Amino acid sequence: MLGLVIPIIILATWEFFAIEANNPALLPRVGDVVNRLVHPFTDLLNTGSFVRHICVSASRVVLGFILAAIIGIPLGLLVGRYLLFHRLFSPVIELLRPLCPIAWIPFAMAIFKTYTIADMFGAHYTTNIFGQIQLGMLYVIFYGGFFPIFLNTVHGVKSVKHLYIESALLLGADQKKLFKKVIFPSSLPSILTGLRVGLGISWMVIIAAEMLPGSDAGIGYLIIFSYELAEMDILIASMILIGAVGALLSYGVKVLADRTSVWQAKER
Amino acid sequence: MSFLRINNIGKTFLGERKEKVIALSDLSFDCQDGEFLCIVGPTGCGKTTLLRLIAGLERPSVGDIALANTPVLGLNRETTLVFQQYSLFPWRNVIDNVCFSLEMKKIPKKTRYLKARKFIDLVGLAGFEKALPYELSGGMQQRVAIARALAHNPKLLLLDEPFGALDERTRHRLQAELLGVWQKERKTVVFVTHNIDEAIFLASRILIMRDRPGRIDYEIKVDLPRPRDRRSPGFLKVHIKIREILEQILTANNKESTL
Repeated sequence: MLGLVIPIIILATWEFFAIEANNPALLPRVGDVVNRLVHPFTDLLNTGSFVRHICVSASRVVLGFILAAIIGIPLGLLVGRYLLFHRLFSPVIELLRPLCPIAWIPFAMAIFKTYTIADMFGAHYTTNIFGQIQLGMLYVIFYGGFFPIFLNTVHGVKSVKHLYIESALLLGADQKKLFKKVIFPSSLPSILTGLRVGLGISWMVIIAAEMLPGSDAGIGYLIIFSYELAEMDILIASMILIGAVGALLSYGVKVLADRTSVWQAKER
Repeated sequence: MSFLRINNIGKTFLGERKEKVIALSDLSFDCQDGEFLCIVGPTGCGKTTLLRLIAGLERPSVGDIALANTPVLGLNRETTLVFQQYSLFPWRNVIDNVCFSLEMKKIPKKTRYLKARKFIDLVGLAGFEKALPYELSGGMQQRVAIARALAHNPKLLLLDEPFGALDERTRHRLQAELLGVWQKERKTVVFVTHNIDEAIFLASRILIMRDRPGRIDYEIKVDLPRPRDRRSPGFLKVHIKIREILEQILTANNKESTL
């Protein structure tokens, strides 16, 4: 209940200024935005509905994020466990890590142009979802999601108690079993934290990527397009949706994390 | 030929300032099959290091160790070490912890659970199979650790102050339980403790270690009938004797450091 106090104050202030301004191209009324939000399937500005834009953005994020996890987790396990891999990768990683994923967007656009996954398979001008997943965007999302996943995995592996490793070895585990039965489950809570943070960053990055030229769908694109047409109610509704979907994604991973690592929260 | 032979081993570490620290030197003893051997000594005398060497987690700097006539040259899976700290895998429930070694041996789940239940019963934890370690008290966790070690069926069971962190009543109960297990399973046990009372209650033979450097200087055979009564004259006599030896070691140390 207490959590509702601040949103109500914000909404009231907004409504007050909206009435004062009396200009929907500057600040729409709360009711106008809510009206947009309760009709998620209605076409907007001839670009498709909210649901379509969210689906496009989400499929870009999910694909890039899966890519980041597929590469980040195994690489993190190796770098965390073996000094050889640590020495091989850590200079590059320390150099690339401070580089914001958004800084890569112009570069990715220059390299990948507007090639989509559909183009890769020779299906140009297709209307299916793969025609909307640009390689440049995938790359930027991958980059944004990779570091949190990778670094948390490394941290998880490095924090595995020596006691567990020695116990397992004496109880007959070989290196392969040790990885599968001790190091991985022991690092899992940390890996899941990485996935959660990584997914959050991927979602932020895709919005930024979609705002740049070369895209004609996605919730980030919708924001810029509605700005250009001074459709402020669509713009604000889109922003609210971005927040809601981001929170939902984060919550989904958290539920998964809590279920697989009860032991971690309760330890001590 | 004895079951476990420790022959003139020494262990030197590099300290924090790269100085040489002699943890153990000229340490020798034998242990017979089925014996319950206790090693007592002041804190920091290298008792834990000694167990780690027997388990093959570390190699001695000099000397050699042999178990059942086989030299210990690396990880020694004929032994299992129960650590002082709680070492259960926190993401596995009780039965899956106990099963760990059986799983490594690729024994099918049904057989493995059947076997594990036997050991869980043995340490008095029937009904807790599905509990996760954090749900158990310290004493219960150490019982599971012992059950897990027994399920591995080692030739030699090594225990490093397993009851050190427990309150006295729990400790006494677990000591009695461990003796019961030892009598039933006929395992050879090397048990390290700094608690004299615990050593006399459990051991068939007690070795007393001195520190700086760690070495075994005295041995005492305990012939008291079991279960041993902590207030019996015989028990107290052994207690006083060990106490005297330990005090001698400590005063000798003090003299050295004041010289």
